Amino acid sequence: MQQVVLAPFTLIGRLVIGVCAIVGALSLFVGRTVFACFTPRWHGGQIVRQAVSIGFLSLPVVGLTAVFTGAALALNIYTGGGRFNAEQIVPQIVALGITRELAPVLVALMLSGRVATTIAAEIGAMRATEQIDAMRTLSTDPFRFLVAPRVLAGVATLPLLTGVADIVGIGGGWLVSTLSLGFNPETYARSTVSFLEAWDVQSGLIKAAVFGFIVTAMGAFHGYRATGGARGVGHAATQAMVWSGVLIFATDFLLTSWFTRT
Amino acid sequence: MSEAAPELEWRGVRKVLGGRAVLDGLDLSLATGRSLVIIGGSGQGKSVTLKLALGLMRPDAGSVLFGGRPLPGLFNRRQSALYRQSGVLFQGSALFDSLRIWEVVAFRLLHADNRPRARARDAAVEALAQVQLGPEVADLFPSELSGGMQKRVGLARAIVGAPRILFFDEPTTGLDPVTAASISRLIADQVTRLGCTAVTITHDLVSARTIADDIALLDGGRIAWQGGRADLDATTDPRVRSMVEASLPPR
Amino acid sequence: MRDNWIEPLVGAVVLLGAGVFLTYLLVAGDAQPAQDGYRLTARFGQVGGLREGDDVRVAGVKVGRVERIALQPDTYLAVAELEVAPQTRLPLDSTARVTSDGLLGGAHVAIEPGADTAMLKAGGEIENTQGAVDLFGLIGQFINKPATAGEPAT
Repeated sequence: MQQVVLAPFTLIGRLVIGVCAIVGALSLFVGRTVFACFTPRWHGGQIVRQAVSIGFLSLPVVGLTAVFTGAALALNIYTGGGRFNAEQIVPQIVALGITRELAPVLVALMLSGRVATTIAAEIGAMRATEQIDAMRTLSTDPFRFLVAPRVLAGVATLPLLTGVADIVGIGGGWLVSTLSLGFNPETYARSTVSFLEAWDVQSGLIKAAVFGFIVTAMGAFHGYRATGGARGVGHAATQAMVWSGVLIFATDFLLTSWFTRT
Repeated sequence: MSEAAPELEWRGVRKVLGGRAVLDGLDLSLATGRSLVIIGGSGQGKSVTLKLALGLMRPDAGSVLFGGRPLPGLFNRRQSALYRQSGVLFQGSALFDSLRIWEVVAFRLLHADNRPRARARDAAVEALAQVQLGPEVADLFPSELSGGMQKRVGLARAIVGAPRILFFDEPTTGLDPVTAASISRLIADQVTRLGCTAVTITHDLVSARTIADDIALLDGGRIAWQGGRADLDATTDPRVRSMVEASLPPR
Repeated sequence: MRDNWIEPLVGAVVLLGAGVFLTYLLVAGDAQPAQDGYRLTARFGQVGGLREGDDVRVAGVKVGRVERIALQPDTYLAVAELEVAPQTRLPLDSTARVTSDGLLGGAHVAIEPGADTAMLKAGGEIENTQGAVDLFGLIGQFINKPATAGEPAT
């Protein structure tokens, strides 16, 4: 009887303790990661390797995502703008939407699928096969050799990828607008260039750098915590993607509301 | 070194994992230059004993002393200095699967000691030769090797820096008897060649007989029996007897 | 490293495409080089949504752009500097009007050429101007105060 009465409280208590534990573990992990990122020694070779695998090899997926998003956005704005005779606003809104919001968020989401999961699986598998312990006994800090290079590469390359997505996304909008919506190609280009302000692009790039940290750190965090062999590694990969996705949206809202504060 | 300071010592070590005291009052010490094999059934805390000695885990009570001083703990510079004097062969070899074999073997030289790549590679090839692997494997990836060869690479990585103390975690697990015997032989040879102290945990008594100077039986979280290699067949301790008999080939 | 060369190749193509389009954007987006045209000024009572960089059009055809908008402190008039293409010769008595294509955006300066035989010179001023019409103000007046007689006509 007593157990039945206490059950909800036990449940809530367990939940709160669980959340505290994971927040604590995450803060500790982020602290150690940041420390490893900003203090020697840096494993340059690893940073370059990760920058290639996170940055350059993500270009195809980023390019495809951006071009289709830009094109669809242009069509939607054209239809929506038509409701109050403002079709000519397509280039401006496409440019604004892509640079400020869609390019950074979509790039980060695609990378949470491509990169966070990979990192979680890699580090999780290394954990499961004692490679992390082995690394320690070889006088090498796994945070410096595994985590920091990935996080640094993520923070450095996500803005670059977002820059590419900005251009390709606007290109997608430009393509569909000139091919099927009857826009003059040069007018469209001119409207875009004269409308965009530096801050539109810059704020998107700042977001991207923050997302780069989230994506890579989440991958590493969940990989590092992985327990229980192959199943644990799979779980870590899923968790990494879910967590980074949710954190990207939440952070995006916070950053946007901060950036648009007047 | 004086008689009073053993190379490695577990003193009253207690470790609780998942609510169960895996180790409870473990006392064990090992003199410089001796090869100790810790035997015991699974779940008796052999791995934990090794992890504690490596500083990868901290004891809940008691202490682990290395050269008479307690282990400093993972995030301490002195710990990484200690690692420079030790080599470890992990149970699953734990080779870094994104690196080439020679980079795996020379990992410490490359990433902790800043050795130039060409010289690190020479050292790696030399270590590979010690474990009877030719220079042709140096450029392969770990996944391209058989389990026995991976173990040898792991051994090469452990001995490459001429360590003072070597740790072997279940070196023959998962290998066929012939390969297991050759790995045990290699381990014994290398320990003799380097003249270093060695700690091996295993449940394989055949391997234990090859490697050990001294044998300790871990049971119920503490040392249940300890003796020389020759004492293994002479003892009347029932727990040792049952392990010895289980290891004999069936008739 | 790996022998998978497709991914890097596609990556390079994406990068190349982005580079080409960026160049196009910057070149085409800046198609009217400022030094080509000549400057005119026009003073408006109200510029509304007009921004620097907006079009200057004659009969709906773009002939230049708004270079600068500033307030003249003593008269409280908005002074717009217009960059007009050199082949576009405008009579002295032309009228400049701030207007827009739709309810939102599309603001530009429309110039209606006059009948004078003398033409505006570089640095000249278009005297006849008509500022932006405050559409929402008009609508507001119309909706809220249909019977107010004392309100001055706009």
